[in-house]
Amino acid sequence: MSFFGRALAILHKDLKAEWRTKARLSPMVFFILLMLLVFNFSFDLGGAALREIGPGTLWSSYVFASLLSLSRSFTDERDNDALDALLLAPGDRGAIYLGKMLGNFVFLLAIELLSLPFFALFFNLSLGFFLLPLLAIFVLGSACMASAGTLFAALSNNMRLRELMLPLLLLPMILPALISCVEATGLALANDCCEKLFPHLQMLGVYAVVFTVLSLMLFEYAIEE
Amino acid sequence: MSGDDAIVLAGAAKRFGTHTALRPIDLVIPHGQAVLLVGANGAGKSTLLRLVAGLCRPSAGSVKINGRDPQRFPEARAEIGLLSHQTLLYDELTARENLRFFAQLYGLDNPDERLAAALAAVGLCFPSPVLATHERLDQRVGSFSRGMKQRLAIARAILHRPSILLLDEPFTGLDASASAALHRLLCRFRQEGRTYILVTHRLGEAEGLVDRLLVIERGQWRLDQVLTENSNQLRTLCAPYLNADP
Repeated sequence: MSFFGRALAILHKDLKAEWRTKARLSPMVFFILLMLLVFNFSFDLGGAALREIGPGTLWSSYVFASLLSLSRSFTDERDNDALDALLLAPGDRGAIYLGKMLGNFVFLLAIELLSLPFFALFFNLSLGFFLLPLLAIFVLGSACMASAGTLFAALSNNMRLRELMLPLLLLPMILPALISCVEATGLALANDCCEKLFPHLQMLGVYAVVFTVLSLMLFEYAIEE
Repeated sequence: MSGDDAIVLAGAAKRFGTHTALRPIDLVIPHGQAVLLVGANGAGKSTLLRLVAGLCRPSAGSVKINGRDPQRFPEARAEIGLLSHQTLLYDELTARENLRFFAQLYGLDNPDERLAAALAAVGLCFPSPVLATHERLDQRVGSFSRGMKQRLAIARAILHRPSILLLDEPFTGLDASASAALHRLLCRFRQEGRTYILVTHRLGEAEGLVDRLLVIERGQWRLDQVLTENSNQLRTLCAPYLNADP
């Protein structure tokens, strides 16, 4: 079976398991809604304040929610030592990373898209033209978090304090991408999309590609005991 | 060492930090040999199986499966089937979905036939894809008893028809009929000239199933003995080691 075929088989398996258990999406949805609700009561996000505080509010919710999902991405594999069965299969073990990364990407993007109407509702935001650039930022931002997050989730999988180690390892690494996401979202919400936004999208694209390639090379070492 | 050897360990050692799980050891297992690996808890049996399976790298020395390093040549891992302490199955998926998933990972051409054959070997259905309709096959593995999970784990391990089978306490949790099915399976493996390493504390289960006895203690070989047909030989040979404190 091809490299991509095995990655897609793992993605399909993860999506099927999640569809049945909702073990990752449910806490993420709950957490993001709670964060947005708390921020809604804490700040008066009207007009210019929305563009200044809104992106930070949105992305801090996404990052912490993504940690919930990423920390669980190898939990199913740890139960019953199923990861051993994946590692035993012939072929490049990078396919395991790619399958897991695609799964994390789908979950993060899904949660971002699901929470957007609530963000608009809580902060009196009328959805309009900025939706298209916002979608591009969500896609690239999710790819960045999934590419780095999957590697560090695999790395922390064998550690004793894995729930603590994942954010400690991951957050400093995704900081450049996170800053770009926040800046780009601010520009999109201000309808200032063309020239200033493009460098941020480029940066996010490069980050996602570089981290995916690096992770494909390092995954086999990261997952070892 | 020759080109006919299924498993070759040359000075292979494994350390976890400061703890030495396996001291540098040599081992040559020719094709078709059935080996019983015995040792007290913590002696290094599972670590040895993990090294052979390519699930971890040796800290020193080398491991070769059919002449190839399973770490450097991933395709060499297709020759190995592993039955571990754990089932290596997904509780959220059904039995059929689990086996189909692993059939996909191994790139099997006729997954339904393989699935039916593997299930038949552990007594879960008839060896026909049409008849692969055991009532529990479409239920989630999480709802299975330990014995059913173990049967399914055996089916997963042999699904891709490996030439080398590594079995770590395979009789655990099996009822009498499942134990008999596994016994028949291992007899068939021997007749077909396939290689296996069997780890078990229940020596009675291994009688008549192995050609060679290896005893490991604190990560080192203590005994390497080719067996004759004498059925009492196993207990006599193992007694001094299994009764000793680890």
